[in-house]
Amino acid sequence: MERYDVAIVGGGTSGLTALRQLANLGKQAVLLEAGNTAGTKNISGGILYSKKPKNGRVYNIEDVFGREFIDDAPYERPITRYILHATSKDKLYSIDLTPVHEYQINYAYSVLLSKLIPWLAKEASDMSEKMGGGIISGVHMRSVRWEQGSSDIVIDTDELEPFRVKAVIAADGVNSELAEVTKARNKFSSEQLYQGVKVVIKLPETILEERFNVTSEEGAAHLFAGDVTMNHIGGGFLYTNRDTISLGAVYHMDSLMDNPVEPSRLMDTLIRNKLVAEFVKDRVPAKKSSQALISKDEEIRQHFMAVKLLKTWNNLRSEYYSRDGIKRLIESGKYGTKDEIGSRIAFLENELVEKYNYEFGDNYVELEYSTKLIPDGKRCRMKAPYYKNILFVGDAAGRGVFVGPRIEGLNVGIDDAVRAANAVARSLDRNNFDEQYLGNFYTKSVEESPYTRDMKEIDKDYLKIFLDCSKNIPKDIVGSRYGMIFKLMSSGTLRGIAVGFANMLGFDRLLPLVESVDTYVNVPVELADRLGKTIDSNYVPSTPSLQERIAKLDYNDDTFPHIQVTKPRSEFMQKMVSLCPTRCYSCENGDVILQHEGCIECGTCAYETLWRHPRGTKGVSYKYG
Amino acid sequence: MPVRPLNVGVIVKLEPDFSEGNVSYNPDGTLNRAETKNILGPHSAAATLAAFYCKVKYDAKVAIGTMGPPIANQALRQAQLISNADELHLYSDRIFAGADTLATAEVLRLGVSRMNKGLGADIVISGHRASDGETGQTGPQTAWKLSYPFIGNVIDFHIDQEGRSIYAKRFISLYGFYDVIEEIQAPLPVFISADPSYKPSFNTISERLSVARNLNEARNKADNFEKYLQVYNSEGLGADPRYVGLPGSPTIVYKVEKIPKAKAKRRVEFVDGNDTVQLDMVAKKLLQLMTEAPIK
Repeated sequence: MERYDVAIVGGGTSGLTALRQLANLGKQAVLLEAGNTAGTKNISGGILYSKKPKNGRVYNIEDVFGREFIDDAPYERPITRYILHATSKDKLYSIDLTPVHEYQINYAYSVLLSKLIPWLAKEASDMSEKMGGGIISGVHMRSVRWEQGSSDIVIDTDELEPFRVKAVIAADGVNSELAEVTKARNKFSSEQLYQGVKVVIKLPETILEERFNVTSEEGAAHLFAGDVTMNHIGGGFLYTNRDTISLGAVYHMDSLMDNPVEPSRLMDTLIRNKLVAEFVKDRVPAKKSSQALISKDEEIRQHFMAVKLLKTWNNLRSEYYSRDGIKRLIESGKYGTKDEIGSRIAFLENELVEKYNYEFGDNYVELEYSTKLIPDGKRCRMKAPYYKNILFVGDAAGRGVFVGPRIEGLNVGIDDAVRAANAVARSLDRNNFDEQYLGNFYTKSVEESPYTRDMKEIDKDYLKIFLDCSKNIPKDIVGSRYGMIFKLMSSGTLRGIAVGFANMLGFDRLLPLVESVDTYVNVPVELADRLGKTIDSNYVPSTPSLQERIAKLDYNDDTFPHIQVTKPRSEFMQKMVSLCPTRCYSCENGDVILQHEGCIECGTCAYETLWRHPRGTKGVSYKYG
Repeated sequence: MPVRPLNVGVIVKLEPDFSEGNVSYNPDGTLNRAETKNILGPHSAAATLAAFYCKVKYDAKVAIGTMGPPIANQALRQAQLISNADELHLYSDRIFAGADTLATAEVLRLGVSRMNKGLGADIVISGHRASDGETGQTGPQTAWKLSYPFIGNVIDFHIDQEGRSIYAKRFISLYGFYDVIEEIQAPLPVFISADPSYKPSFNTISERLSVARNLNEARNKADNFEKYLQVYNSEGLGADPRYVGLPGSPTIVYKVEKIPKAKAKRRVEFVDGNDTVQLDMVAKKLLQLMTEAPIK
């Protein structure tokens, strides 16, 4: 059996950070990634933070990947503006939370993981190869075992011969199979999870910059609370990428379980919000229905011609509205001036309208639909994130900071990964993989992380900045609900006492009060109704159907289902018929049955099913992430 | 005693890209070779993969050769990208033109002897046939000229380097009967042709790491593939002009006939997708066919 020092399971941001950090420390590690290549199975809302807390230190991505990350990595935009909108029908009340967003940060970049992760993978594997390790993709970890009298872990996969390692770093995400096979923790339950749903929308670069009033080195984030969530605890987000927009929403699973609505419908509601609709709007061609009688052959010929023209129009327009596109086109010698390109685009449009029965109007272009479960660190972080000599990081350990408008997951996983890599390297040096020496050391290190502190208690400085930003909110709206809290918070000394008292109560008891329909829906709706300005727009986006959304995704179908329904009549499974984002479940004669072909592996149904990731290279591949 | 390194030679062919949208025809229905893009043929790609397998598994030295016009170096570049080859040989000379398979085999025989710094090859690998001509005999003829044993339709193999032998599995389709897999042992040097279905498998961590490393190397090499390219003309190969090109080709193409189009056995019926009566008929028909179908 082959032997290696360390195995990392999962090639997301955390796993790759661990691989690179181990390589930085001169250690050999192999990383198993189930996707075809690293970065095809990863989804994030889209902001990666680098932070500098006042107390304690965190490890940021550039600490591991070096200055090259900032210079070369394909991130999207620095997010320099952060605005919260309270919504009610077509009314909107906005609060600028940029100071809250900038609290203790070095930078915040919007990212698309399918672009970013291949870069990280290359950097990490180049370094790791020198240590005799690297990334092995298309391989799915099936189980782990310990042979008698040895602390070495034997890893079984679906694709390769078993191999032996001294320690494992579990970076296999929120639906961690290592946690499942070792029973290191329970499956996350609905009160510990959020369901995130996201679409990536195309918008040419300079149009985007003009619309969001940003330069090429700036970007905006907009958050939404109020009626956009259809009475669920949660909120929407919109992040600007280079020439796309990440639009999504995050809902408390509990609240979805109480009132199940299909994620795709929730998404549609968000897109149809007047402001969101105006944000994503673009000039889009559509075929008019035609009454003209033409032969089948002629119809096919016209279709091919039109598709060709549309492709040219699309490419040319993207270039025309991108920062370097015009320069590129002129340098290529095809066009002389900007106007020439503009008139060529107009000509193509005219051609499509006149000859091929197309019309150009307002709509938006959706590129990719995705969903992901998000573990709420306050409620489900593993208190001791290890099992024997397996260390859990990031989502796998249930770690993420979600407090009010603060939404951080990627950076928390990166910090964990560095701590895990450091702990494993220390154990390798002493050849000691005891729980005491490895697991406890890692747990202590993670407990010292400022992120862990943020998952346990309220940061009063952060709260003050937040309250300062929202000082224009009339006291009576919030007063009836949180009058006492507000009074306590409004003066410096009392705030200290109040926060102290709240922290004594602990997040556990405080959260049901704060994370309620009142906070997330009723207060924002009232705010918008009373103080909001009306958005004047007649544009109603036509959203694609779920079938169309699924059709845009890439699948490598596995004939072998990776989910087994075990309780076809349970209340939970009945709700999955609505809550599965790709409608994989249907109900026949009271039994819930599974049709797994369109599954996007989010794990929403994992709690009451036998749920595994698909075998290596199988299942969905994301193009944006 | 250190095991002597394995030398592998591959012979490939630049072929028209027959994948959809890339083929262009003349008005008379013949292939327009000038317009059609050329690529490394799919059968040659299978042979190249077999060489990559040797590279990963046995750390072999790989040389790839092709006979063709100067543009055929593109096939060599693509083959290098697949196999991380150490040497690329192009056998190109005006007098090679008009060669049939026997004359081609003569050039390839001489080419193989120049491979791997003149050491030749312990295993020569070719594809099953070319996709632009029924020329599946080039491989066996080259083997015959080299006096190497020939194993065709290889789907899997491994090498015993100390025992200097190959263990190969070959796939034999006996049309209408059961398919057969033959297991064959043969001494090195040997000539094998890769079955079109050949796909190497790498089942251990170290092999997978080696795959990644080799592919990385291959990308870097292919970027400067000219550095690895050696072009041989007739003189460089030491070819006897009587055995190459047109003079060395005994084949005479007497006549080319168009293959008559077979009469279609299937029948098409259009059904209106919105008409429930018609759809009902389709369902009934399907049900009938399924119930009548013999269970195998």
